[in-house]
Amino acid sequence: MRATPEPAAAFASIDALALALQGAGYFADRRLATAVFLALRLQRPLLLEGEPGVGKTELAKALATALQRQMLRLQCYDGLEQREALYEWNYAAQLLHMRAAELAGPGAGPQAGGGRDVEREVYTDRYLIRRPLLQALQTPEPGAVLLIDEVDRADEPFEAFLLEYLGEYQVSIPEIGTVRALATPVTVLTSNRTRELHDAVRRRCLYHWLEYPERARELAIVRSRVPQAGVALSQQVADFVARLRTEASAGVFRRAPGIAESVEWTRALVALDTRALDPELVQDSAGILFKQREDVAALTPELARDLLAREPLEP
Amino acid sequence: MNPELPDFGPGAQGSPERASAGGLLADNLTGFGRALRRCGVRLDSAHIALAQQAALLVGLDSKADLGAALEAVLVNRERDRTVFRELFALYFGNPAAATGASAALLSGAPPTPASAHRPRVREALAAQPAPGSAGPADAPIDADAAMSASDLRRLRHADFQGLGAGEYRLVERLARDIALPLPRIAARRTRAGVRGARLHWPGLMRQAARSGGELLHLPRRERQPQALPLLLLVDVSGSMERYARLLLAFLHAATREQRRRDVFAFGTELTDLTPAFRLGDSDAMLATAATLIPDYAGGTRLGESLATLRRQHAHRLVGRRTLVLLISDGLDTGAPETLEAELAWLRRSSRRILWLNPLLRFEGYAPLARGAALLQRLVHGSLAVHNLSRLQDLAAGLAALTRGR
Repeated sequence: MRATPEPAAAFASIDALALALQGAGYFADRRLATAVFLALRLQRPLLLEGEPGVGKTELAKALATALQRQMLRLQCYDGLEQREALYEWNYAAQLLHMRAAELAGPGAGPQAGGGRDVEREVYTDRYLIRRPLLQALQTPEPGAVLLIDEVDRADEPFEAFLLEYLGEYQVSIPEIGTVRALATPVTVLTSNRTRELHDAVRRRCLYHWLEYPERARELAIVRSRVPQAGVALSQQVADFVARLRTEASAGVFRRAPGIAESVEWTRALVALDTRALDPELVQDSAGILFKQREDVAALTPELARDLLAREPLEP
Repeated sequence: MNPELPDFGPGAQGSPERASAGGLLADNLTGFGRALRRCGVRLDSAHIALAQQAALLVGLDSKADLGAALEAVLVNRERDRTVFRELFALYFGNPAAATGASAALLSGAPPTPASAHRPRVREALAAQPAPGSAGPADAPIDADAAMSASDLRRLRHADFQGLGAGEYRLVERLARDIALPLPRIAARRTRAGVRGARLHWPGLMRQAARSGGELLHLPRRERQPQALPLLLLVDVSGSMERYARLLLAFLHAATREQRRRDVFAFGTELTDLTPAFRLGDSDAMLATAATLIPDYAGGTRLGESLATLRRQHAHRLVGRRTLVLLISDGLDTGAPETLEAELAWLRRSSRRILWLNPLLRFEGYAPLARGAALLQRLVHGSLAVHNLSRLQDLAAGLAALTRGR
């Protein structure tokens, strides 16, 4: 029912894929690599959920780099409609075309009964504006990587509209007909769970819940993103952020810092010429780790001192 | 990590039997899928077929990989992950059960699953006709164990009776007659219309094409009205006992049309009643709610309940658009500081909080209890709900309260 997997773009093994992603600057754990591997081989969309800042969007970017495909991004928002997601007609140009046809004379004008022809002329490829979904379908081999970002922000009718694309990699446009994918686009959907997605969407996708990275992986990410930071500082950051997350799950903080925050924080620490963390510095830069006033306040100097004083998690 | 030996079925052991391996694998996966479904994970046969493809793609050499692969295919929501992992470990991790024929795997549950596993998983495995394995007799004990741990609280299941015929007619009539004027806002999504700031280009072009590019009138796009998402918080503590049942029935009937409706009951803890409210029949809703609510007619700890809401269900509050109906008498027994902080959070993250208070019926009621005073200060408006036969006032009051945006 589906086309055979393209052998050129697909990776032979999970390890090869993980390595390629790492080459693109993304450190995926084995479970995630397995899910991505299957999404590529089974040609299914991949639905990623997880807390903010665990690298959902980054994965799609890295995947595009690793596969050497064009990346297309559809950022979802409330009220997103077909004309922003799929296609729109270039109305101004169409109107000009019609005026021109009329001025050209009675042969082409509506008086001669040629109005219907003009209508047909106007709804052609030339006046079609392609939006990400259509672009993804019409990208020739090897195909594109389509990121449908924060799909939970769009409303339910939009989800229903996506079903045809997710299930069959095709869309129906009234004026043109059915558009099928030239090459199956690699499709990644992300959701922050501001609302539950419908089962119909979930059924058509493979699913992966992204966890916060374990310490070793976080350290690798920080090291690769902020190479200027010393090894000792990076380790301290990874340790400290891991402990913050433990505290957050114990209810001390409302929201745990994500990978994006730890990378950003390391950058800030480098900019501040930091060699080693101390409680005051932590407190001063807490606004990078936490984005809520209560959380910044909850990271008291005592707590920071206590967290810093704990044994390193691993050598 | 460290790939363990493949101990999940004879199919994996010798490559000469690869042909029959597919069949065994299919059997194993079907059985596994059935067990998952018994645990409440939603899947269909298409998923099982896909799981088989996935298993063959990643190979059967590493159990961790197989687990990850099956999880990617068979699980499609966050809350099913733990149950999947437990069941996977039990189902494919037990060499005694796995080295037998596939038939044994299908019928024979692993002997005595450790009691550390959740009852759902144990029941799912025990529910199979399993000669010689642990019977399902010990399955439903956990509820009692949990109860004894919380003997400080007065826990009691709601004994919501079904509605009497008179009550039923009353609730239905009220729900029909009283259009709860829940506010609607202009959504981002648009439709063709005659007003509106922007032009409706597709309609305009169709018209222009018919008239040779001449624009005779300009169709517009206008924003569709959309109901605000609704969050109901219903107090089921002792002091609210008299009202909870009928109020739940009324709200269930009156907000039926609502597209987005989340319902929580709270007493000493928070209970998600949304699944119960999805049932169409009010009696069925009450029956389900009664089994869900573990702390009916106990104390009220609104602050802690709201904290639970914030931590576990914050995504139910949709983009600060949610209308919160809080039904409580405000006799809170929790810490006032918690209540204040959590109410402030709720106020920040919702569009409006309306407090429906049955105590307002008393002449000269002043919110003297600290919880009630806090509520009075932090909600956007409050209304009396004591008399169900005069709910018309409620409707009018709601309209008045929500009109101010």
